[in-house]
Amino acid sequence: MSGTDPSAPDTLAYAELVAASHFSFLRGASSPGRMVLTALLRGHGGLGLADRNTVAGVVRAWSALKAMRGGGWSPPEAVRIGGGPGEIAWREDPMNDAALAALVQQRAQTFRLLTGTRLAFADGTPDVVAYAEDRAGWGRLTRLLTLGSRRARKGDCHLTLADLESHADDLLLIVIPPRRPEGLEATLARLQAVRPGAVWLGAAMHRRGDDRRRLDRLAGLAQATGAPLLAMNDALYHDPAERDLQDVLTCIREGVSIDRAGHRLLINAERHLKAPAEMARLFADAPEALAETQALLARARFDLGELRYAYPDEPVPPGQTPQGWLETLVARHIPHRYPDGAPPKVAAILKKELAFIAERRLAPYFLTIHDIVREAENRGILCQGRGSAANSAVCYVLGITSVDPAAHDLLFERFLSAGRNEPPDIDVDFEHERREEIIQYIYGRYGRERAGIAATVIRYRPRSAIREVGKALGLTEDVTARLASTQWGSWGSALPDSLVEQAGMDPANPVIRRALDLATRLLGFPRHLSQHVGGFILTRGRLDELVPVGNAAMADRTFIEWDKDDIDELGLMKVDILALGMLTCIRKALDLMRAHQGVELELHTVPSEQADVYDMLCRGDSLGVFQVESRAQINMLPRLRPRRFYDLVIQVAIVRPGPIQGDMVHPYLRRRSGKEPVVYASPGPPHDPDELKNVVSRTLGVPLFQEQAMRVAMVAAEFSEKEANGLRKAMGTFRGDGTLHTYEDRMVNRMIARGYDPDFARRCFDQIKGFGSYGFPESHAASFARLVYVSSYIKCRHPAAFACALLNSQPMGFYAPAQIVRDARDHGVEVRPIDVNASAWDNTLEGPGAAPALRLGLRQIDGFRQDWAGALVAARAGGPFGAVEGLMRRARLPVAALRKLADADAFRSLGLDRREALWAVRRLPDDDPLPLFAAARARELGEEPDADLPRMGLGEHVAADYQTTRLSLKAHPMALLRPVFRAEGRLTCAEVEARRSGTRVRTAGVVLVRQRPGNGNAIFVTLEDETGVTNLVLWVRTFEAYRREVMSARLLGVEGVVEKSPEGVVHLMADRLEDRTAELGRLSDDHAPVIQFSGADEIVRPQHPRNLRVLPGSRDFH
Amino acid sequence: MRLAAVTAETLALGLTPGLTLADARARSPGLRVADHTPEDDALELGRILADFGRFSPMVALDPPHGLALDVTGCAHLFGGEAGLVAAVTARAAHWRLATRTALARTPETARALARFGPGGIVAPGGDAAAVAGLPVAALELDPRDLQALRRAGLRTVGDVDRRPHAALAARFGASLPDRLDRLTGRIDVRITPHRPPPPVRADRVLAEPITGEDQVLAVLADLLGEATGALEARGEGARRLVLTLYRVDGQARALAVTTARPGRDPGALLRLFRERLAALAVPLEAGFGFEQLSLAAEATAPLAPTQTETRTGLEPPGADPAALAALVDRLSARLGPGAVLRLEPVASHLPERAVRLRPALVTGGGPAADLAPDDDDAPDDAPGDPPGRPLQLFDPPQPVEATALAPDSPPAAFRWRRVTHRVVRAEGPERIAAEWWRTPRARPRDYYRVEDEEGRRFWLFRAGAYGETPPPRWYVHGLFA
Repeated sequence: MSGTDPSAPDTLAYAELVAASHFSFLRGASSPGRMVLTALLRGHGGLGLADRNTVAGVVRAWSALKAMRGGGWSPPEAVRIGGGPGEIAWREDPMNDAALAALVQQRAQTFRLLTGTRLAFADGTPDVVAYAEDRAGWGRLTRLLTLGSRRARKGDCHLTLADLESHADDLLLIVIPPRRPEGLEATLARLQAVRPGAVWLGAAMHRRGDDRRRLDRLAGLAQATGAPLLAMNDALYHDPAERDLQDVLTCIREGVSIDRAGHRLLINAERHLKAPAEMARLFADAPEALAETQALLARARFDLGELRYAYPDEPVPPGQTPQGWLETLVARHIPHRYPDGAPPKVAAILKKELAFIAERRLAPYFLTIHDIVREAENRGILCQGRGSAANSAVCYVLGITSVDPAAHDLLFERFLSAGRNEPPDIDVDFEHERREEIIQYIYGRYGRERAGIAATVIRYRPRSAIREVGKALGLTEDVTARLASTQWGSWGSALPDSLVEQAGMDPANPVIRRALDLATRLLGFPRHLSQHVGGFILTRGRLDELVPVGNAAMADRTFIEWDKDDIDELGLMKVDILALGMLTCIRKALDLMRAHQGVELELHTVPSEQADVYDMLCRGDSLGVFQVESRAQINMLPRLRPRRFYDLVIQVAIVRPGPIQGDMVHPYLRRRSGKEPVVYASPGPPHDPDELKNVVSRTLGVPLFQEQAMRVAMVAAEFSEKEANGLRKAMGTFRGDGTLHTYEDRMVNRMIARGYDPDFARRCFDQIKGFGSYGFPESHAASFARLVYVSSYIKCRHPAAFACALLNSQPMGFYAPAQIVRDARDHGVEVRPIDVNASAWDNTLEGPGAAPALRLGLRQIDGFRQDWAGALVAARAGGPFGAVEGLMRRARLPVAALRKLADADAFRSLGLDRREALWAVRRLPDDDPLPLFAAARARELGEEPDADLPRMGLGEHVAADYQTTRLSLKAHPMALLRPVFRAEGRLTCAEVEARRSGTRVRTAGVVLVRQRPGNGNAIFVTLEDETGVTNLVLWVRTFEAYRREVMSARLLGVEGVVEKSPEGVVHLMADRLEDRTAELGRLSDDHAPVIQFSGADEIVRPQHPRNLRVLPGSRDFH
Repeated sequence: MRLAAVTAETLALGLTPGLTLADARARSPGLRVADHTPEDDALELGRILADFGRFSPMVALDPPHGLALDVTGCAHLFGGEAGLVAAVTARAAHWRLATRTALARTPETARALARFGPGGIVAPGGDAAAVAGLPVAALELDPRDLQALRRAGLRTVGDVDRRPHAALAARFGASLPDRLDRLTGRIDVRITPHRPPPPVRADRVLAEPITGEDQVLAVLADLLGEATGALEARGEGARRLVLTLYRVDGQARALAVTTARPGRDPGALLRLFRERLAALAVPLEAGFGFEQLSLAAEATAPLAPTQTETRTGLEPPGADPAALAALVDRLSARLGPGAVLRLEPVASHLPERAVRLRPALVTGGGPAADLAPDDDDAPDDAPGDPPGRPLQLFDPPQPVEATALAPDSPPAAFRWRRVTHRVVRAEGPERIAAEWWRTPRARPRDYYRVEDEEGRRFWLFRAGAYGETPPPRWYVHGLFA
C-alpha cells in the first residue's frame, strides 16, 4: 500500500463516495473491508460503498468498521485456500502492527460508512449511486432492488429511471456521468423534480486528457440543473497495484482473452482510493466539489445498526402472549413424551428453561420452530432439531428433538449460560427428499415478502480461479485444465513448483507464473450469490424493506442478498431448514419394517442402550450408519468402544479437524482406556486450580467440543464476552475474513501468564483453529448421536430393511451401492437380482418377515426411468411376463428401456440371459409406430431359427453388471483376476489382515475411496477385493511419488508393511504403487466395468464414469 | 490441440492420435509436431492418384487416405499379380509412403483385408475364407451396431456370416447382409474411377512448339477468352487462374495469378499474367518449345453479370472500389502480396499498437482485438471536440528534453531536433498505462497536447513520474498539424 502516510494530518476533508468492492461482481477488485481500511488509512472522512445493483457487500464493510472501532480491527481479508476440507492458509498482512492498530481505532470512531448501491439501469439511464438518508430510505432502496431483481432472472436486475423516480423518497442520489454526457441534463432534471436538493452530479478526474474540459462542462451542467458537483474517483479497487487483477476480471466478465480485450480494459490505473491531498490537487478548478462530499456525508444518517428485528407472530393465537402460549403448549405436550407425567428432574429443567426463555423474550422463536416441526409431523416427514437451544427439555417435549433430557444429562445449560446476545441456535433437519414441501409451506405461511432464504457467497476456489484466469490470459484449455487438475490439496501463497512440473509445465515460464499469481489473488473473491442450503429469514414486517430479495435459479425460490454471517452480524433470526439423507433412510427403513415385518417404531421409541447395538459398533461394523461410517470413524470405533449414548456424542465429535489438530484425540483415548490418569490442566496460584474442571470433566479433562474450547478461552484465558464473541465469529465455518490469528497470541499468552502449561495452551488454540473449518459443538453432536444410535439399531436388528432403505435413499452417505449390497450379504441377507418379473422401481423386501430377502430394484439400473418402472409394474399386475415381446406390448415400453433391462440381465425369469435377451430385444420393432401402423404392434413376430450365440463368460457378465448397475451379485471382479495376482504373489485383503504387524506384503484391489483427512500429512486409500478391504496409508512423500497412480488408477497394486494397532485396527503402510487398471480389461472386451468410487472420495472425477473406458476396447488390428 | 497422426516410433511411446498436445508433451517433452493440414493431404493424395494411373486406368480414392485400383487385365504388364503388388509398393515407396496392400477379387474384400487384416493376395475363390477371420469392425457399421454384435458374442466377420441372415437383417437392418455379401465377394461392386470435377478449363495443343513470350501471350489471350466465356455462362468469376505450359521434353511449368475480387475481364486478366511473367524470378525457359498450354480456373466465385457503368467523371478519385481492387491486384501480382499492405485498426490503448499493416490482397480475418464500437472507453473523439490523437505518429517516439513545473503539469518548454519550443497552450495529462501482460516493466505515460508559440501542435508524453528512479523521460510521439 504505497503512498500511505498514516501520520499525515487530515487537513483536507474528502470522502470517496463512489466506491465499488468485489461484490460488484467481476468489476470491483478489492474486498469491502479492504476498501474501508484503505479509505481510513488514506485519511478519508468516510466511504460510500455502492456495488452494482446489490447491497451484498455492505454488511462486511459495516462489520469491518465496527471491529476497527472496537479495537479488534480486522486485517484485510485473507482467503481460504485448499481443495481438501479443513485446510486453511492465511495470506499474511504486512500491516499488522500495534501503532497502526491504535491509529486505525482512533480514526474509525469518526469515520462514516455510507451503505448504498450503484443503480445500473436497463433503459440507458446513466448509473446513479443511491444512499439512504434514514431507515425509511433504506427500506425504499431495498424494495427498489427487490423490484429489479424479481423482474429479472437470477443474478440480474432490471430497473428503469421510472422505477427510481417512484422509489426516490429519502434517498440521496449521485448521478454518474457517462463518458459522453448526452442526455445527462434530462436525467438530472427528472431526478431533481422528485428529489429536489438531494441529487448530486459526480465528477471524476481520471487523467483522460480532457479532464479539465469535462469538469468545466459538468460544472456548467451542475449550475444549470442545480444539482451540485460532487468530487469522486469512482474507485474500483483500493490500490493502483490491483489494476492487472481488475483487467483480468474484465476479461472474465466479457469472455475475451486479454490480448483481444482492447478498449474493454481501462486505459490506466487511476480508479483507486486517492489521498485527499491528491484529490484536492485534481479538483483545483472546482474545490466546491470536494466540499460537497462532506455535505452528503452529513446528510446520510442511516446506519445498518438501526435495522431492528421483530419475530413473526403467526404461531401465536389471538389473545395470547407468545410466552403464555409456549407454556400452554409445553404443558399440553408433556403427556405425549411422558405418559406418566414428567419426572421431577425434567419438570425442574422445564421450569428453569421457560423462565430463561421469558427473560430473553425468545418464546416467538421457539413457537416458530414448533410450528414448522408440527407441520412436518402432520405430513409424516421425519425431522429433528439440533443446536444449543434444541437440546432443551422444551424442545424434547415439543417434539423438536428426540434426545430425552431425562435419560441423558444434557446441555441446555450451555444455552442458559451463554452470552446475553448470542442468538438462539436451532437447526432442523428434514428428510432430504421431502424438505422442499416444508420450504414451500414456510413461503405459504409467511408470504414471500416476509420469508426468504439466506444467500451463500460462491467464491473463487483454486480450480475455478486458475481456469478463468488462464482463459483470460489466453492460455489454452489444455494448459489451464492441467493446472487446475493438479492441486488436490492446498495451495500456500503460490502453487509449488513441483506441482506445476507434475502438470507438465515449466514453473519458470513467466506466463504460467503470472497466471498462478493472479489466480492466487483471485482466490476468495465472490463469483456470485447463490441460495443457502436452507437458512430461512422470517420477519414480522416486510422482509424486502430490510434487505433486497431476488429470484433463485430454482423455480419457486427467492433469496435475500445477505449470507448467514451478515445475518448473524445484524442479529436477525434465522431458522435452518436442512436436508438430511439419513432421515429419509430411517423413515424408509421404519416403513419397511412396519409393512413387511410388523415392527412399529418411531424415532423416539427405538429402544435405548441395547448392548448388541453397541457390540456391533465396537467391532467397527458401521457401514451405512449415520456419521460414523467413514474410514477414520470406523478405525476409531474399536478404540473408543462406545457403550452408552454419551460415548456416541463423543464419537461423532472426535474425528474432526478440531480435536485432531489440537492433538486431543490420543490423550482422550489414553485416559478412557485407563492408561493415563484423568488430571485437569490448572493455572498457577492464586487462581482456582479447578477452574477448568467444570468445563472438561465430562470429557475426562480433554476439551473435545467447540463449546469447551470457547469456555477454555473464557475461563483460562479470561476472554471477555466480547472477545469470546469475536473469537467465535472468527472461527465460523468458511469465513472470508482471516481474523482468527489475531486472537492467537492473546489467548496463548494469557493462559501462560496465568500459569498454564504452554504446550496445553497452544494445543487449545490449535484446536480452535481446527474448529475454524469444521467446528463440532456438543449440542449438534448430541442430536446426531441419536441418529447414529437409531441407524445402528436398525442395521443391527433389521439389516435387510436397513440396506434396502439405504439403497432407496441414494445418493447419500459414504458408500456406493456395491458396498451396501456386499455389507448386507455379509450380514446374512439374501440379495436377489433385478428381474422384470420381481423388481419394482425401489429395492424391496421379499420372503418371510423374520428374515426377509432384499430384491434389487430397477432404480439400480443406470439411466432407467421411474415411469418405465411404473409401467412395467402396472403391466405385471396382469400376471408374470412370459416373453420379451409380450412384455413390450403389455408394458408399452420403448426399445431403449428394454435394452437397458436386457443389459442389466433382468430377463432371467424368462429363461434368457443377458446376451439372449439383448438378441431378442434388438429384433423388436422400433419405438411408437405411427397410428396407422399401430396394428402392426399387435402382430406376433414370426418364429426364427436359433442364432446359437456363443455363451457369455462369467468375466463378461461381471463386467457388464458393473457397467449397468455398478455392482454384481455374480462375482467380485478381483475374484476373476485372482489367478493373475496370485501368480504375482499378491495377497488378498483377508490375508493381509491376518498377517502380523511389521510384515511386508504385496496386494491389489479396486479403489473405493481416497481421502486426505486432517492436516493432510497422510492419504488414505481403501482397496477392496472379494475377501474384504485393505486400508492403505500413504505418507505425503509416497503420495507425491505416486500421484498419478493414486489420482487415476481404478485398480491398484500395492506393496507395503502391515501395521496393527492393539485394538486390532489394520493398516498397510504403502510404499510402492502400481496402476493395474488395465487388468480390468481382461474381464471383457466390450464391457467397461464401472468401479464406482464411494461418495466420500475426495478426488473429483474428471469424467463421467459412463464415458470412462477402462481399457481401449478395440482389438481391431490383429 | 490434439494429435491427428503420429509416427510408428511415437506410437510405441504410447502416444496415440486424439491425445491432447499438452498431454503428449507432458509425457514426451521432446516431441516434434507439425500442423495438420488436411487440404494439403488431399492435394498430395490427388497427385499420387494421378501418378498411380500408370498401373491402371481405373483408379479411385478410397477414403480415408487409401487408393483403390481396378487392375483387371493389367497384372500381366508387371509380371503377374505378385509383380504388380511389388511394383505398386515400390512406387509408393518412391512417394515415401508406408502402405498396406491387398489384392482380391472385389474392391470391398481388398479394402477390408488391407485395413482390418493382414493384406496380401487372395487366391481365386478364397475371398470368403480370407475375410472370415477379420474382426467385426471390418463391417464398418455404426459403432453402436458393432458394439451390439460384439455383445452378442460375435467377434469376427465369420461369426456373423454364419448366423441366419434373416435374423441379422431383423436386428441390424438389411444393410448388414448386404455388407456381408460385399465383403465376402458374393456381390461385386466396381469402383467408380476418380475424375476431377470439371473445372473451367481451356486447352490448346499446338501444332508447332512455340518459344517466344509474345506467342505464349497470344495463345493465353485465346485461352482467356474461352475460359471467361465459360465463366460467364456459369455466373462466376475467377479468383485464381493457373496456366500450365507443357514443354516438348515433358517438363511442365505452372504460373498462377490470384485476384482480390472475382473477375472475368480477359484484358485485365491478361494484364495480370503479363505482370506475373515480368516479375518471374526464374524466367520462362522454353527449351525446345511449349507444345501444349492449358488454363484452369482453380478458384472461382459467383459474379453476377454487371451493367457497364456510365462514368460521369465527377466521382472523387479512388472512390471506385473496383479500381482500387484492380490496382491492388496489379501491384500484388508484380511486387508480391507481402509488399502491398494496408492499415487496419487494432483495439489497443497504446497509440503505436492501435494500428497494424496487413497484406492488401488478403480479405477477411478479423482485427487483432475486437473493436467494440459502443465502447465507453474507446478513444474516438466526440463531435465538436478537438482530435485526441495526432495525424502523424513517430515510431519509435523521439526523445526530447523538457522541463515541467509540477508533477502533473505539461512541460513549459521542450527541445526537439535542436530547436527549443516554448509551450503556450497545453492540455492533459492523458495517462496511458502499459500493457502489463506484454511489457510488465514498462512505465505508464502521461500524454499532453501542447501548442508552441508558433502555433505548432505536438503530442508529448512523459514516461514515468517525477520522484522515481530512473527519472522520467520526455518524448514527442506525434504531430497534430
